[in-house]
This record gives sequence, structure tokens and C-alpha cells, in this order.
Amino acid sequence: MANLTTVLSVAGASFAASFVEAVEALTIVLAVGLARGWRPALTGAAAALAALALIVAVLGPLIGAVPLRALQFVVGVLLLMFGLRWLRKAILRAIGVVGLHDEDAAFQRQTGELTEAERGQELGLDWIAGAAAFKAVLLEGIEVVFIVIAVGAARGRIGLASAGAVAASILVAAIGAAIHRPLARVPENALKFAVGVMLSAFGLFWTGESLGVEWPGGDPAILAFALIFLGVAAALVALLKPRLAKPA
Amino acid sequence: MIGALATQLIGLFVDDGFLAAGILIAVAAIASLILLGALPAWLAGLLLTLSMPAALAASVARSARQAPRPDAADEGPPAPP
Repeated sequence: MANLTTVLSVAGASFAASFVEAVEALTIVLAVGLARGWRPALTGAAAALAALALIVAVLGPLIGAVPLRALQFVVGVLLLMFGLRWLRKAILRAIGVVGLHDEDAAFQRQTGELTEAERGQELGLDWIAGAAAFKAVLLEGIEVVFIVIAVGAARGRIGLASAGAVAASILVAAIGAAIHRPLARVPENALKFAVGVMLSAFGLFWTGESLGVEWPGGDPAILAFALIFLGVAAALVALLKPRLAKPA
Repeated sequence: MIGALATQLIGLFVDDGFLAAGILIAVAAIASLILLGALPAWLAGLLLTLSMPAALAASVARSARQAPRPDAADEGPPAPP
């Protein structure tokens, strides 16, 4: 039970979080590709992937050298900050305080910026386009790397977390290559809600374990924490949404 | 571009300063009490389990309170991002 719970939660959290990040990166790469051509888009994306590989190659061996308790503490606290930030934003979007993330709007915005840059200067425009793709893939990729390390490292499940992330990235890239449009129909806020819940649960678990807490039931306590965060988030949405809703 | 990257990297973990500070203060306080031997591990676990959802709820409630109300859209400051 404990193993199955760990496997499903590690792979599932990594897959879902990476899926969201890959969708956001794909939107920018598509915008660059369709506005300025595929050469700068793919060059920028490939350079970012190379930079990510370098980051992983440098950081990977260092992780093994860090004592487990210290690693759990740092990763746990960072996961709490990262996961609760996602969950907070998903709740604020669900109750209408913050607008929903719109991949079509992000696509139009990026295309507009490149068109504006085209009017301003001709020389170096491919460099600007490539840099936009590079930055998007690098930033979203760093989030994926962090998530993989965070959910996988503290239990020696980096391989499993990486598999979830790679599967999500390949799936998004394949869909993007097939349809050549932003994945605007992905229920991104629902995914972010779920990922925020899972990452916060992992963060709480690792932080407690690093402080010597023996969680009742072991690893399945992660699912109990996820239910607690889910319950609190759902209660906040139910409580605050009617107050902020427009009167009929 | 490096400055923008650094800003966005920090933004991965800190969006609402109130929430980030709440998490760090709670964890630091609990960890300190454990290190001083003033808190049993089970109570630390309970405090962590209660304080993290509480920090989330306080942050969301604060942002919702600061958001402009539909019937008073022109009043009050906008919600933090």
C-alpha cells in the first residue's frame, strides 16, 4: 500500500505539474514559431533544453551528497512555498479574484510582442524570437526540474518522477506538433488546483519527517494531507465565491 | 535577461509575501522548539498540519478582502497578484 501510494503520488504529481508547465512553454514556442518561423523557435527551445540538461548534470550529483534530513527539510519548505502558492492562485482564480490563465491570450500577447519588435527593428529579430522561446522553455523547465527533484529526491524516486515529467513533456510536444495551436482547452486551473494540493501535501510530509515527526501510517499520510488541503481549498472557494459573485 | 530570470525564479516560491512569510515563520518556530527540546515530535506534526492550511486560508481571505467588490468596483485597492 505504502509503495503503491508513493509510486502513484510521485509519478502523478510529477506528470500533472509537468503537463501544466509544458503547456505554458508550448504556447510561447508556438507563438514564436508561427510568428517568426520554426528555426528561432526550435533553436531557442533546444538551447534551453541543453541548459536544463547542464543544470541537472551539475546539480544531480550534489543532491546525493546532501544529508537526507537536510535535503528533506529544504525540499519540504520549498515545496510548501511552491505548492501553496499554486493552490492560492488556483483558489483566487476559482473565486474570480484573479483572471483565469488563457493560453490563447498568452499566445496572442507573445505574437503581438514579436510583431511589435518586427516594426521596431529588422536586424536581430530572430535572436529576439529565439530568446523568447529559450526563456519560456528554460523557466518552465526549471520548474519541472524542481518538481522532479522535490517529489522524487527525498524518497529516492527521482527516476519515477523524471518518467512522469518526460511523459508529460512528450505528450504535450506531440499534441502541439499535431495541432499547431495552443492547448487552450486544457483545464489548467483544475490541474493547478490538483498539483497545488499534491505538492503542498508532499511539502508538509517532508518538512515534518525532516524534523523527526513519525507520521501515522507512513507514506499514505501524504494522501491524508492532500485531502486536508483539498478540503480547506474547497471550503475557501465555497465560502468566498458567493461573496465575490456579481449580484444577479 | 538574467535579472528577469532571477526575478522569475524567486517568483516561483514567493508570490504573496504574506503567505511566504507565514510558512517560513511557522516552520522556523516549530523547528526551533523541536531543536530546543520544548516540543514533542507528534505535537510538531500536529502544529505543521494545522498551520500550513491556516496560512493558506489567511492569505486567500486577505486577497479576497482586498479585491474590489462587484457593488463597489471603484472602491478599495486591487488584490495583490
